[in-house]
This record gives sequence, C-alpha cells and structure tokens, in this order.
Amino acid sequence: MEEYHSGDECIEGIIGGVDYSQNKVNQWTASIVEHTLTQLVKQGKPFKYIVNCAVMQKSGAGLHTANSCYWDTTTDGSCTVRWENRTMYCVVSVFAVAIAL
Amino acid sequence: MDEDQASEETTFVVDEITTVIKETVESTIGNSSYQHSKVNQWTSSIVESSLNQLTKLGKPFKYIVTCIILQKNGAGLHTASSCFWDNSTDGSCTVRWENKTIYCIVSVFGLAI
Repeated sequence: MEEYHSGDECIEGIIGGVDYSQNKVNQWTASIVEHTLTQLVKQGKPFKYIVNCAVMQKSGAGLHTANSCYWDTTTDGSCTVRWENRTMYCVVSVFAVAIAL
Repeated sequence: MDEDQASEETTFVVDEITTVIKETVESTIGNSSYQHSKVNQWTSSIVESSLNQLTKLGKPFKYIVTCIILQKNGAGLHTASSCFWDNSTDGSCTVRWENKTIYCIVSVFGLAI
C-alpha cells in the first residue's frame, strides 16, 4: 500500500499537468523511476527493489503488458500503478524482493 | 578453473538469457499480426514460457519477467527501470523484437538468492 502511494505521488509530481512531448519523455521516465526508488529505499526495509515505468502517447494504439515472477511468495511482492491524463498513459510497476538477513 | 565455473553458476549471464527470450518470443508470436483479442494470451504466454525456460537453467536466482506488446501505430512509447540490488550478483536484460505490426519488449531481472 505504501508502495502504491509512493508511485502515485511521484508520477503526479513529475508529469501531473503536462502533455506528451517526445523530447521530454526520456527525462520523465528516468525521473519517475529514480524518485520512486528513492522514496522506497527511504522506508528502510530489507528489500531489493525494481521499479519499471512505461509512458505511452494516447493515439489509439493497443498496449498490453504482463509480468511473471519466480520468487518467495511469502516475503516478496509487487504492485502496479496506472495513471493517465489527456495525452498520455503511464504505468509504473514496483517489485520488492526480500533480502535474507 | 573451479573458481571460474563457480562464478558462471551464480552470476547473471546476459547472452544466455537473451537467447532464451528471443526464442520464446519467436515461437509465440513469430508470424502473427497484432490482434486485440489475442494480445492478452500472447503476453501471458511469453512471460510464462520465459520464466519456465529460465528456471530450467537451474541457477540460484529469483526472476522477474516483464513483457510489453505494442501495436505499430505511430504512438510513442518510453520505458525506464531503476533497480536497488547487489551489483555484483544481480542483473537484468531487455530484448526488443518487432515484426510488421507488433513491437514486443521483454525485460528479465535476476536477483541472486
């Protein structure tokens, strides 16, 4: 749940009020994953994290994504945040894998 | 000699995994055109088969496989990943594949146990 809020806030903060722009998209995706990762690491939990972000222009094309994970289901988990505005879709996935202490 | 073999077994070997993924994607959607009704099956199939092949390699890793299928329609798509892990043992690789009507991007993340 905390991961969900971190991801959502990060996206809103970076691309909240803007339209899709080809020359800025690179910066946005990089920014979103870095900020999300920083927020997660600040929580100080014993996890390794993988943050994935996809930004797509709204133009009628079809997009499908799928994830499959081979891990310890009792300790590891993931969550995906979908966000959109008038001109683009943004999908951020966070995977957290427990570190054996 | 022994040391080399040991590290072979416990590090993430990008080339090997790239080959496995390419074959999986080819065999699932090699000759197909983008079809809205089938895309769901394709993405699921690709991630499951990839994961199966990877676990067959028998290495001490946890895996995360992500697949994106995009219709070729002129839309712009950007993806980025950021990872917080152990640089010496963990790794990732991304395979981009396309045909006339589909782009397919598969990412594999391997985390040492």
